[in-house]
Amino acid sequence: MDLRKELEEVIRTRGLAMRTEEAEKLAGYVGRMPTPLEFHLFDTMWSEHCSYKSSRTTLRLLPTQGPLVVLGPGEDAGIVSFAEWEGNEWCLVVAHESHNHPSQLLPVEGAATGIGGIVRDVYCMGARVTGSLDLLRFGDPAGPSGERCRSICRGVIEGIWKYGNALGVPNLGGDTRFHPGYDDNCLVNVVALGFVRRDRIVHSYAPPEAHGEQYVLILTGKPTDDTGFGGATFASSDLEDDSRKGAVQVADPFLKRVLSEANAAVLDHLFEKGVSFGFKDLGAGGIACVTSEMAAHGGLGIVVDLDSVPVSIGGLPPEVVACAETQERYGLAVPLRVAREVMDIYNVDYELPRLFPGAGAFLIGRFTEETTYRVVQAGSEVACAPVESITEGIVYTREERPAPVIPVEPEERPCRPGEDLGRMLLSFDGASRRPIWSYYDSEVQGCTRFRPGEADACVTAPIPGCSAGLAVSGDGNPWYGELDPFLAGAHAVGEAVRNVVAVGAIPIAVTDCLNYGSPEDPEVFWQFGRGVRGIAMACGVLGLHEGGGPLPVVSGNVSFYNQSSAGGAIPPSPIVAVFGRMDDFTTATDISLKEPGNTILLVGPRRDELGGSLYYRECLGHRGGRVPGFDGGLERSMAEFVLECHRRGICRSVHDISEGGLLMAAAEMSMASRPDARRGMVLNRTDADPVYLYSETPGYLMEVPPEGLASMETVPDFVSVAGRVTGTFSIRSGGMEILLEPLLDEYRSLLERVVWREEGLR
Amino acid sequence: MKDLPLVAVIQFPGSNCEYETARVVEVSGMECRIFRWNQLQPLRDASPDAFVLPGGFSFQDRVRAGAVAAKENLMDLVVEGASGGRPVLGICNGAQVLVESGLVPGWEPGRIEAALAANHVSGRSGYLSTWVFVRVRNGAGIGNPWLSALGGSPVPIPIAHAEGRFVFRKQDAGRTRPVEALAYCSHAGEESGVYPLNPNGSFHNLAAVMNPEGNVLAMMPHPERAFHLWQLPPWIPGEWGDRRSAALSGGNLGTAPGPGSLFFRSLLEHFGGGAA
Repeated sequence: MDLRKELEEVIRTRGLAMRTEEAEKLAGYVGRMPTPLEFHLFDTMWSEHCSYKSSRTTLRLLPTQGPLVVLGPGEDAGIVSFAEWEGNEWCLVVAHESHNHPSQLLPVEGAATGIGGIVRDVYCMGARVTGSLDLLRFGDPAGPSGERCRSICRGVIEGIWKYGNALGVPNLGGDTRFHPGYDDNCLVNVVALGFVRRDRIVHSYAPPEAHGEQYVLILTGKPTDDTGFGGATFASSDLEDDSRKGAVQVADPFLKRVLSEANAAVLDHLFEKGVSFGFKDLGAGGIACVTSEMAAHGGLGIVVDLDSVPVSIGGLPPEVVACAETQERYGLAVPLRVAREVMDIYNVDYELPRLFPGAGAFLIGRFTEETTYRVVQAGSEVACAPVESITEGIVYTREERPAPVIPVEPEERPCRPGEDLGRMLLSFDGASRRPIWSYYDSEVQGCTRFRPGEADACVTAPIPGCSAGLAVSGDGNPWYGELDPFLAGAHAVGEAVRNVVAVGAIPIAVTDCLNYGSPEDPEVFWQFGRGVRGIAMACGVLGLHEGGGPLPVVSGNVSFYNQSSAGGAIPPSPIVAVFGRMDDFTTATDISLKEPGNTILLVGPRRDELGGSLYYRECLGHRGGRVPGFDGGLERSMAEFVLECHRRGICRSVHDISEGGLLMAAAEMSMASRPDARRGMVLNRTDADPVYLYSETPGYLMEVPPEGLASMETVPDFVSVAGRVTGTFSIRSGGMEILLEPLLDEYRSLLERVVWREEGLR
Repeated sequence: MKDLPLVAVIQFPGSNCEYETARVVEVSGMECRIFRWNQLQPLRDASPDAFVLPGGFSFQDRVRAGAVAAKENLMDLVVEGASGGRPVLGICNGAQVLVESGLVPGWEPGRIEAALAANHVSGRSGYLSTWVFVRVRNGAGIGNPWLSALGGSPVPIPIAHAEGRFVFRKQDAGRTRPVEALAYCSHAGEESGVYPLNPNGSFHNLAAVMNPEGNVLAMMPHPERAFHLWQLPPWIPGEWGDRRSAALSGGNLGTAPGPGSLFFRSLLEHFGGGAA
C-alpha cells in the first residue's frame, strides 16, 4: 500500500478531520508514518478551530492595535490599558469564544464548559476574572422544532448558572435571540473579562530565561480522563449526529474555584521571588497542545513523560492521555529549582488531592534546547516532531461567491401603535430577559453597579477602591445578518458601542465571535468576508478613546460549520462585545425614566429603512426589506454628542434605539421606572408614522432636565425634542394613549414559558 | 476601644464571597482576616472577636449545601467561639453551614433541627437571583450584635441561591418565634407567604434565623452586596429608593451607605465602636 492510501486509511479509521494533503504534510515533517499521537495532535492543531486556516487572511482586515492596546489577538486573551490606581497600571483582559456544537448536543455541559474554557483564557494571563457575558442564539421556541429549541435553551441556561454562579464570576449580561435559522444549531458565545496589573501579565509560553536554566512543565488540576477527546476537530465539522457526545467535556466549577485560588497564590509567590514563568490553560488538544505550544512559542523543545500524568481511568492509549480535553487543568513553565514549592502550594496548602480524587500538581515535562517535541511513555517515544511544524500553521484560500439578498418591502404598512407595541413587547425577541437573568448571579464580587437589563450596558467598579467604571455590552442581529451580512457586522459593533456610550462610557476595545456555516461553501465564505469588513468599517470610525485611531478588536474567535446536514447554514452571525471605560462609575446612567416634566431628546434622524425590524416581523409577518444603513460619520457624531451630555451631567436616563424603534425604546424606559413612581412619555409627533415609531435607524432617546439643553452652545441638527416625561404609566401621542400596566406582567413573564416550564405557547 | 475588633472570614473550598465580605468588614471600621479551611492554628492564635462564614458553594454543595463544610475540623473553633458568646454570621452558603452544624437554630447545641431546602416556587426550580425586602422580626434586633442598627423598617437586599427555604424539624411557631430574625416582606412591610414576596417558600417567610442567644445568625440575603447605596438597582421603591435618588442628584452616591452596612454597624457598635 502506498503512503497516501495508508494515511487515508488512518484518517478514516480514527475519525480524523484532517485532509489527506495535511496528513502528507505531517508525514513529511516527521519523516515517516506518523504515530497515533502525532495524528491526533496535528488533527487538533490544524483544525479550523485552532488554526484559523480559512479565516486568517480575512481577519487581517480588522484593526487590532491602538494606543491602549497592550496585547492584541494571538495569545489566549487580549489586553488593554484601563486605569492607574495606587501607582499601578491596571489592564482589562478579554476573551471571546463559541461553544456552539457542544451546546447543541449536550446543552448543560456544553454551556458550562463554554464558561469554564473562556475564564481559563483570562486567568492564564495572570488576571482576576471579574465578569462573563453570554450571547445566545436559539431556534424558534414556537416553531416546528420548538420543543427541542426550548429544551436546549433551558439546558444552556442551567449550564451557565450552575457553572458561573459556583465559580463566583458575575454574569454581566449579553443577549438572547430567537431565529428559526438556529433550530438545528444553537449559538452559545461566551465572553470573559478580568483585570491584571501591567507588570504582572503572564504569557502563555516558556520565558526567555528557559534558554539558560532548566525549566520544567507542571500540570495542575483535574486528573486526565477521556472526555473531550477530539473536541476541537468536532467543533470544526458539521453536526451530523449525536455520536460525538463523547467529544463534549465535563465541567467542574468547584475544582476550578479552588484551583483559581491556588493559582493566584502560586503567581503571587513567583512574582515575589522574581521568577520568570509561563502559564497556559489546557483547552483544545489538551496536554499535547499546551506542551508543544509553550515550548514552540518559547523557541524550545520539550520532553513530556506521559507516565507522570495523573489519570482517573486506567489503560488509556497515549493519544487519549495526550489529547483529551479534560477540563480544569493548567500548564506552568517554571525553573526546576522552584518546582517543589509550586507543587506544594497546590497539593499541601490548597489540598487539591484531598478535595478531588486524583487532582493535584505534577511535573510532567522538561524543556530542552533541542527544538524537538517529544512524548515518551513506558520508555518508548510515542511522538517526535520538529517544533517548526507546530508554530507554522496552514492557510487555505477559500473561494467566495457573492450572494446578496434583494430587498423586498411589504406592500402595506398599517400603523396601529397600541396593537403594534403589544405585539413587539410580547414577542420572543422583544420580551424582558429577566426570566433568564434571574438564574444568574450578577453581583458576586460586590462590584456591580448595573445588572443586566437596568441600563443599556452592565456597569461594574472592577478594581476595589478605584472609581474607574467598566461598561460592557454584546450584540449581533441575525435578522439583519440574513438580509445583509456586511451591515450585520457593522451594526453589531454600532449597537454595542451605543449601549456603552448610553451609560456614559467611552468604548476602548472590541472582541468578536464570527459564527457562520461551512467556509467550503463559497456563498457562506462571502458572508463571512462581508461580516468581517462590516466590523472593520464600524471599528474604523468609532474610535472615541484618547489617542485616537480605530476601536481595536483585541481578541476573538471564528466558528464555522454552524449548520446541520438537513438544514442550511445559520444566518450570518457576527457577534461582538464592546468594552467601555468611565472615570467615575457612580455617574453611569440607566434607562429608567425619572422626573415628570423632563425633556426627551431624540438623537438620530428616523429613516425609512425597516428591513429585518421587529415591526415587520411581529406586526406584518414580513422578514424582508432594506436594513438600516450604517452612517459612520453620523454614528460617531451621535456618540460624541451623548458623551458630551454625560460630561455636562445632564443625562437622567438614556436608551439606545434598536429593535422595535423609538416606540419600543420609550416603552422600555417607562417600564424600567420605579414601581412606586411610575413614569411615561408624551410624544410631540401626533401622526401614526411607522417610520418615526418603528424604524431601527440607530439613535438614542435621552431624558434631560427641561433646562438641560440651555447650557449647550449649539445643538447638532440630528437632535430633536421628541416629547417629555409624564407621571402616568403610558405612552401618549396626540389623542392616543397606550397604557403600559396591562402589558407589564406578560412582558416580564413571557420568557418564563420558554425557560421555566413547558406550557402552551401562543 | 483600644484595638479594632478582629473579624475572621472563613474560606472553605468553594467559598466565593470571601473577598468582598472581608472588604466591607474593613470599611466598617474593623480588622478582618481571611482564614483558609486548613489554617486551624493561625485561626486559634488569632482568637478573633467574631466570625463570618461567607457565601459560595463550599464542597460543591455535595450531600446538601453546607453539609460537608460543617464537618471540617476548623468548625470546632467556630462552635467554640459561638458557645463563648462571640458573634457568628453565616451569609448564604455560610448560613447553610451554620444550620448543618447545628449552631442554628441551636435549641439543643449541635443537634441539626433545621435545613435550608431547595427553593419552592410554583413551576420554577433552581437558582434565583433577585432583590427582596426583609425586616427584623419584632424584638429580634434588641441588643443583637448583627441586627441592632436595622430598626423595624423593611430594607432592600439581594438574594442569590438555589437552596434557601428554611424548614424545621418541628414547624411549630412557639419554638421558631424566639429564633426568627429576618422575614421577607414587601417594601411596605407586608408579608404574603407566596412568591415573589416570599421568594423561596421559606417557613414563616424567614430570611434569617438565629440561635436563642442571638449571637449566631444564619441569613440567606447578601448584606455585602447592599453595603453601598450605589449597589442598589435603579428600580428599588420606598425609602431606600428615595435615598438612592437623593444621593444620585446630590453627587454622593459613591460614599453613601446602603442597607447592608447596618449589619456590620451593629457589630461595630456591639464592640463599643462607631456612633452608638
